[in-house]
Amino acid sequence: MAEKTDKIAEHEVVQMFDPAFLEETQRLEARWREDFNKIASRFGVDPATYQTYSHSGLPLKPVYFPQDVAHIAYEDIGSPGIFPYTRGLLAAQYQFMPWANQPVMGYGLPEETRERMDYLRSQGMTGYFGKTFYNLVYDLVSHEGVDPDHPAAKGRVGQCGMAVYSRRDMARLFDGLDLTQMNVVHITGYETIPVFAHYLAYAAQRGVPWSKLSGNTMNWYYQSAYCGMTTFPPQAGVDLAVELIQFCNDEMPHWNTLNLFGYGMEEAGATAVEEVAFSVAAGLDYARACMAQGLEPDNFLPRFGFQIAQANDFFEEIAKVRALRRMWAKSCKALGASKPSAMHVRIHTHTSGVELTAQQPLNNLVRTTLHAFGAALAGTQAMEVSAYDEALAIPTEASHTQALRVQQIIQEETNIAAVADPLGGSYYLEALTSQVEEAAGVLLAEVERLGGYRHAHEFIRDRIETSAQRWRDQIDAHERIVVGMNQYVTDEVQKVEKFKVSVGSEEEAVRRLHNLRADRDESRWKAAMVQVDDAVARFAHGENDHRMIPAMVAASQADATTGELMAVLKRHLGWRSPV
Amino acid sequence: MASHTIRVLLCKTTMESHDRGVRFLATKLRDAGMEVIYLNFLEPVEVVDTAIEEDVDVIGLSSSVEGHVAVLEAVTSQLQTRGHRRVLVLVGGVIPEEDIAPLQAMGVQGVFGPGSYVSDIIQFIHDHVPARV
Repeated sequence: MAEKTDKIAEHEVVQMFDPAFLEETQRLEARWREDFNKIASRFGVDPATYQTYSHSGLPLKPVYFPQDVAHIAYEDIGSPGIFPYTRGLLAAQYQFMPWANQPVMGYGLPEETRERMDYLRSQGMTGYFGKTFYNLVYDLVSHEGVDPDHPAAKGRVGQCGMAVYSRRDMARLFDGLDLTQMNVVHITGYETIPVFAHYLAYAAQRGVPWSKLSGNTMNWYYQSAYCGMTTFPPQAGVDLAVELIQFCNDEMPHWNTLNLFGYGMEEAGATAVEEVAFSVAAGLDYARACMAQGLEPDNFLPRFGFQIAQANDFFEEIAKVRALRRMWAKSCKALGASKPSAMHVRIHTHTSGVELTAQQPLNNLVRTTLHAFGAALAGTQAMEVSAYDEALAIPTEASHTQALRVQQIIQEETNIAAVADPLGGSYYLEALTSQVEEAAGVLLAEVERLGGYRHAHEFIRDRIETSAQRWRDQIDAHERIVVGMNQYVTDEVQKVEKFKVSVGSEEEAVRRLHNLRADRDESRWKAAMVQVDDAVARFAHGENDHRMIPAMVAASQADATTGELMAVLKRHLGWRSPV
Repeated sequence: MASHTIRVLLCKTTMESHDRGVRFLATKLRDAGMEVIYLNFLEPVEVVDTAIEEDVDVIGLSSSVEGHVAVLEAVTSQLQTRGHRRVLVLVGGVIPEEDIAPLQAMGVQGVFGPGSYVSDIIQFIHDHVPARV
């Protein structure tokens, strides 16, 4: 079905209130101010200097009036399903289908992760249109781009993710499942393309056409701007990301190609304002890189997705999501997008992990419930709710299920699905949405002035790190209260059961790798690796003939491993030692 | 208590992105007058090589994703065999309680879990780094 271009967006500006009404409400505010000041004085607070702030540092008023939103063009608030989508992407929100449950999973051997997948599914974990969403994280060994027998892998196999390194491991993970009836998120580090190649090779082995696969690749080479190290320099990262986007554009219409990882920014310290600004900046940089390769915004933008945090400042976090929808829609329109889906912010919410504590861990259930409830009010598309043992270990089956129950209780028991954008029109929330948007706009302009996201890593890291420091300084100074950690502290330790990756899975993963190497067809593997090397070399030297991904798939079919494929990418595209 | 400028090597494996805490710590140790070297490493031997080259008093390993026991086992034993026993080895991040005793047995002197205060870490370093002769 062809998408309609929005006509309503072309309308002239409508004023929400007439001037006589605003005069009256301003009189009301003056009256309220007098009363409020009297109460403040009784508490010994000087009303002239009294000021509160959002967690991003935006100034707040004690209460909001119509005049606080009178400057906002009504079209900027508008209606769900209409540009700029402040109130939601579609005319219907959760009335006919709730948000997708998308808990992150991954530990130990692939069969062990599969057990958790099957278990949570049996507990009602549901995606869209009857499909199941599997949000799967790869282990640290895979993230490092090595194999489990590498000296650096010791102690890290199957930790913080699953030990999946080859097409054969994909079979251990997915055999028996209908690949066309599921949506698989592959949470990788910089090994996005090798893992993607394994999945495609596995699908081919099962006889499933790639065009019928749906899911996500991370493609988040930009994350080195704000955390950790990177395998590839920024430009090489952009090139790799665009290559995958281009491949999917041609071959895999349902595949979500890019995950704009605002969540990672927030976890690294970004405020709500910074998360919006830098997510949009990253998206724009990648979008322009795609356009430079001749891709049409209406074709590739609908497959971009956002992974957004939901943190503690309850209303600001909702305003953040609404502001992001508006900013992204306007930014994409300016790039030349015209289809609604090319301007949509499709959000996977990840409730904040950094706000959770190791102390009194059951308190985290309350925190995650508030986060998840806020995300639902903001109109998210899919949700991962952190488990209450987040600050201690990988979730146990019980804590993982409990986190799913948080989503289910909100979906089923609160009547939240009845009304879309339930906070829309709140003077406070609309004013705050505009405040977040304006402040993020200033930051975005600064990134653009520096030449766009890929040239602004230093600026972005500095901003996020400064915010992280302010956050912790406030905690240490008791200006920010964390219950159970710096306030209401007890000596009593709340004992919770902790998950441990099963002993022996590391050895087993190494044994499997050695078996794979021993019984694969050596000459076929060698020939395939030569092709990979040649394709990557061309890609790295400006002679891209788009054979890289097909060559990687062929190599995976010949039983190449993630570590082997990553070694080629690193050799040609990785950092060089300074000369 | 040491009278010289204390040199600290803070480190984390390359692809572990949970570096918010250790970066915060780096800044605060610097503000407290220490010299901080920050390292992302792939193999434990890089930690030991850097510690020796940089002549550090303290190694602080940050880990939020397991694997710390294997790394610290290698680091402490290599420090021993290479004759650098006086280096104070600390670990911070998500460290399960049951790991603490084995870590101490291999020579890790301080374990700082989630929510630890930097002021406590600074005090610990001052209390445990011996004066240089």
